[in-house]
Amino acid sequence: MSPRVRKAAAIAGLVGLTALVSGCSAMYPPNPVTDQGKDIWSLYNLFFVIAAVIFVGVEGVIVWSILRYRRRGDQLPRQTHGNNVLEVVWTAIPTALVLGLFVISFGIQGRVDAKVPDPPVTVDVTGFQWQWTFEYKDHGLSYTGLGDQGPVMWLPVGETVHIRLHSNNVIHSFYVPAFLFKRDVIPGQVNNFDLKIDQAGTYNGQCAQLCGMDHYQMVFSVKAVPPAEFQAWLQAEEIKARATPTPAASGAAGTTLQLGASNTQSFDKSALDAAANQPFSVQLTNSTPSAPHNFAIKDATGKVLFTGLPLAQPNQSVTYSVPALPAGTYTFFCSVHPNMTGTLTVK
Amino acid sequence: MAASTDVARTTAEPQAAGHAQRGMDTAMVGMLLFIASEAMFFAGLFGAYFNVKATHLVWPPEGFELDLPLAAVMTLILITSSFTMQWAMVRIRRGDRTGMNRALVVTIILGVVFLAGQLWDYAHLGFGISSGVYGSLFFTMTGFHFAHVVGGVIGLSLVLARGASGQFSARHHTAVAAVGMYWDFVDLVWIGLFTVLYLVK
Amino acid sequence: MATTVLAPGATRVRQRSAVYDWLTTTDHKKIGILYTGNSFIFFLLAGLLALAIRSELAQPGLQFLNPSEYNQMFTMHGTTMVFLVLMPFLAGIANYVVPLQVGAADMAFPRINALSFWMLPLGGILLFSGFFLGGAAAEGWTSYSPLAGVKYSPGVGTDLWIVSLVLIGTSSILGSINFLTTIFKLRAPGMTLLRMPIFVWTVVVTSLLIMLATPVFTSGVVLLFIDRNYGGNFFDPATGGNPILWQNLFWFFGHPEVYILILPAMGVISEILPVFSRKPLFGYKAFIFATALIGTLGFSVWAHHMFTTGAVFNPFFSFMTFLIAVPTGIKFFNWLATMHRGQLSFATPMLFALGFLSIFLIGGLDGAVLASPPADYALHDTYWIVAHIHFVFFGGTMFGVFAALYYWFPKMFGARLNEGLGRIHFVLMFMGTILTFFPMHMLGLDGMPRRIVDYSPNAGWSDLNLLATIGGFIIGISVLPFMWNVFITLRGPRDAGDDPWDGNTLEWATTSPPPPYNFDHLPPIRSERPLFDLKHGSIHDLDGVAVPAVASGEGAH
Repeated sequence: MSPRVRKAAAIAGLVGLTALVSGCSAMYPPNPVTDQGKDIWSLYNLFFVIAAVIFVGVEGVIVWSILRYRRRGDQLPRQTHGNNVLEVVWTAIPTALVLGLFVISFGIQGRVDAKVPDPPVTVDVTGFQWQWTFEYKDHGLSYTGLGDQGPVMWLPVGETVHIRLHSNNVIHSFYVPAFLFKRDVIPGQVNNFDLKIDQAGTYNGQCAQLCGMDHYQMVFSVKAVPPAEFQAWLQAEEIKARATPTPAASGAAGTTLQLGASNTQSFDKSALDAAANQPFSVQLTNSTPSAPHNFAIKDATGKVLFTGLPLAQPNQSVTYSVPALPAGTYTFFCSVHPNMTGTLTVK
Repeated sequence: MAASTDVARTTAEPQAAGHAQRGMDTAMVGMLLFIASEAMFFAGLFGAYFNVKATHLVWPPEGFELDLPLAAVMTLILITSSFTMQWAMVRIRRGDRTGMNRALVVTIILGVVFLAGQLWDYAHLGFGISSGVYGSLFFTMTGFHFAHVVGGVIGLSLVLARGASGQFSARHHTAVAAVGMYWDFVDLVWIGLFTVLYLVK
Repeated sequence: MATTVLAPGATRVRQRSAVYDWLTTTDHKKIGILYTGNSFIFFLLAGLLALAIRSELAQPGLQFLNPSEYNQMFTMHGTTMVFLVLMPFLAGIANYVVPLQVGAADMAFPRINALSFWMLPLGGILLFSGFFLGGAAAEGWTSYSPLAGVKYSPGVGTDLWIVSLVLIGTSSILGSINFLTTIFKLRAPGMTLLRMPIFVWTVVVTSLLIMLATPVFTSGVVLLFIDRNYGGNFFDPATGGNPILWQNLFWFFGHPEVYILILPAMGVISEILPVFSRKPLFGYKAFIFATALIGTLGFSVWAHHMFTTGAVFNPFFSFMTFLIAVPTGIKFFNWLATMHRGQLSFATPMLFALGFLSIFLIGGLDGAVLASPPADYALHDTYWIVAHIHFVFFGGTMFGVFAALYYWFPKMFGARLNEGLGRIHFVLMFMGTILTFFPMHMLGLDGMPRRIVDYSPNAGWSDLNLLATIGGFIIGISVLPFMWNVFITLRGPRDAGDDPWDGNTLEWATTSPPPPYNFDHLPPIRSERPLFDLKHGSIHDLDGVAVPAVASGEGAH
C-alpha cells in the first residue's frame, strides 16, 4: 500500500472511530416509559455493550493484521494449518456466552409477557385498513381514528392495562416506540398483553406490519395521565356517549344522492352534483368487508365543512343529511380514508 | 516442475453418465437428489395439513367424508405396481428385455388404473378445492400426487418405448433403475397420504 | 512429464456464430458467465429501484412516488435482489469455479445446467411484467397473507410473482442437484472430500440447503396461488385457514435461504484470504464443521422472524438462534488466524474480502441482538431490520460476489481487472455501504417502521434518512468504475497467464481461460492446496520448506 493510501486509510479510520464513539449514544432506544419497556431497555443495553466490545476487538485484530503483517519479501510465512486447542477454546467461550445471554433473555421475556389475573383497565384494539379503533367495552366507549391523526388511547399511569388485539382483515402490528414494544394484530387470533406505564405523556404509535397502500399513515397515540384524571375522563366520556345518542339515519331531505364504497381506495363515483343553497342527503352504502367509511366535505382551501356521523360500518348503509351549501366546487372524501375523494359540484 | 509422479495416471477416464466406477451411478445420484427435493415439496404440504389441523378442534370438519374402501384399493394397486416395477428390474438385470417390457406394461396399466380411480374419487366426493380449508388441503395434496403419478407413467412409457426398441441390457439399464426409483417414491408418498388423510385423519 | 488430453475429439469443434454458441452452450464456464451477466443486469435494475426508494425517503412528504407505487418498489427490490441477483451470482460463480476446483471436465448434467440458467431471464421477465400489467407485486418480498390474498391484492402482479418464483426456485433446485452430483461423483482422483477446496464445501452445504428448503417455499407459493385463483382457503381464517401457516412455510424456507446467500460468499472469502496471506486457511476441518453446523441449525431457527406474532414458542427458536452465532464466530476466528503472521497483500479481491469481514461483523452482531424475543419486540419490522439485512446481504454477500469477480475474472477472461479502478470501486462502495445502512440502526431504534413511503417531519428522522440516501447514491456511483473497468479490460491484452495471484487450487493449474475440457493435465492431489504443493514442493513442513515428495509409485489415493 502506498504511503498516500495508508494515510488516507488512517484518516478514514480516525473519522470512523470518532463517528462511532459520538454515535454511541444514538445507538440506544428512546427512554422507555413502561415497566416492560425498562426491562427490554436493560437487556438491549447488555447486548449492545457486549456487541461493541466484540466489534472493537475483532475489528482491531483485522486492522492490526493489515498494518503489522503486510507482505515483505518473497519468503513464505509459517504454514500453520490450525490448532485444535484454540478451536475448542473459541468454540466453548462463545457457546457459554450465548447460553448466558439466552438465560437472561428468557428471564426478561417472562417478565415482559407476564399478565396479571385482574387488570383494572382493558382496551380492545381493532386494526383495519388503515385506521385503528379503540374500545373500552366495560364503559361502552369506542374511538375510531379519522384522517391522518388516528385515535387517542387514554390510559392511567401506574396501573396495569390489558390490551387485546383484533383484526378481521389483514395482519397489522400495534407498535409504540416509547414502550419498546409491538405485537401483531392477526385475523383469527386475539393477541393480548399487559402494559404498565410509569410516566405521564403522549406517545406516538404506528402500524408496523405492512398492511397495504396506506400502511404508512396508520398511526395512533397513547395518552397516559394520572389515575384520577383518567377516571374523570372516563366518566365525562360515558356521559357524553349517553347524552348523544348515535345519530339516527335521518329521513331524506331534498334529493338523496347514492354513493357506494366497496374498497378503501375510492368511492364508486368520482363526481356528485347537488343543488345550491338546499340541504340534501347522501346515502352511503359500505360494502367493504372490514373497513368503516363515511361521507365528508371540504372546500377548496381544505377546510372541512361537514363530517358525516355515525360511520357506516361494513355492510351497512347510512344516510347523511348535508346542510345547504353555496354554489361552488368542493371535494367529498372519507374521513377514515382521506385518499378516497371525489368532486362535489354545487350549482 | 512436478516431481517424478506420473501425472497421466492421476487423470482417470472421464465419468460418463451411466458408468459408475464406485458407488452409485451418476444419473442415479441425480435422480435420488431430485426425489429428495420432491419429498420436501410434499413435506411442505404435509406440514400445512398438520398446522391447520392443530388449529381446529374438530377434524376433519363436519360434512367431509372420504371414500376409504376405494382409497384402500388404490393403495393396493399402487403397491402392486411397485412390485411389478421391481420385477422389471429383476428381469433386465438377467438380460431378459422382453420380461422387463412385459413388467413395465403391467406397471403402466396399474398406474393408469390408479389415476382413473383417483378421478372417479374426485368426481364422487361431494366437495371441491374451494370447500373450506379441508377441501383445499385434500385436493391440493392428492392433486399434486396425481400429477407426480402422471409424470411417472410418462417416464415408464418412455422407458418402455426404449425397451421395446431394443435398448437396455443386463449391464446398461440406468434409465430403468432411475424411473423405478422415482416410481417407488411416488408409491411411498401415496402411502403417506393414505395414512395421514384416511387412517390417522 | 506426460501430457494427457482428456477428450481427444473435443478440440475439433465446428465454428458457429458466437451468438448461437452462447445461446446453446452447455459448457459450465460459459453458463457461469451467463449467470453472472444476467445477475448483474438485475443488480442494476434492483439498484435503480433502491435509488427510487431512497430518493422518496430522503425528505418527508410524498415527492414523486405514490404509496401504491412505493410498495411495489420495495417488494420488487427485495424479490429481485434475493432471487435474481444474489442467488444467481453465487450460482454462476460456483458454476464456473467448482468443476475446475474439483478437477472435472464439466458439471454432471450439462444440459440441465443450461436449462437452469435460461429459466432465470424468463422468470425475471415474468416478474417484472407485473409493472406493465396493472402493478407488480406489492406485499413485500415476504408476501404475508391475508394481504397477499386475492381480496386485498387483486391484481395479476402477485400471481406473476408466484409463477416467476416457482420457475426461479426450480432453477435453483436443479442447479443444486447438479452441484452435488458433480462434487460427489466427478472429483479428480486423489481429491478426497477432505482435500476439496473450502469453497466447494460451502457449495455442498448450500446446495443441500437449496434442495431441502426451496421446495417448501414452492409448496407455500403454490398454496397462495390456489387461494388466489381456485378458491383455496389455506390462509383465510374465515374459512378455516391460518395466516400464520403462510409465515411458517415462508420462513422455514426463508431462514435457510439467508444461509444459502451467505455460505458461498464465506467460501469465497475463505479462498481469497489464504492466497493473499500466503498461508493455508486456519482450521480447515473446523471450518467445514462450522459450515455444516450452520446448515443444520439453520433449519431450526425460522420462527425467530415470528416472535411478535404470539403464535410460536419463542424460547426454543431464541435458543437455537443464539446457538447459531457460535459457528459463525468460529469462522471469524479462523479467518483472523489465517491472516495472523501471514504475508498480506492487498489486491482488489483482498480489499473486498476485508470489507466483507468488517461489514458482515456488524450485520452478524445485529442479528445476535435480535435472537432475544424481548429485544425483537422493540426492533422487529423497524429500520434496525433493514440495517441488519443490508449489512449481511450487501456488506456480506455482495462484497463476497465482488471479491469473487475480481479474483476469478483473470481466469475467465485472461486479463486482470485494473487495480486502480478496483480500489476506487472498493473505497466508494465501502463508505457508501456504511453511510447508507449504519444510520438505519438509529432510525429503527428510534421507532421508524419499515415499508413506509413517508414519515412525519416531526419524527426527527429526516436527517438520518437524507444521510442514508446520499450513501445510497454513493453506492450507485461506485458501480460505475467497476463497469468501466470490465469494459476496458476486455478490450485490453489478455496477459494474466494461468496463475496471476499465486493461487493454491486447481483452477489456477490450467490456461486462462481454460480449454473447453478444462485440463490438459492435473497436478497430483495430496492436500486441499494441490497447486501450492506443486509450486512449493509436494509436501512442506510448517515453515513452508519443501520436503522431498514420496516415491512416485503411489496411485490415485
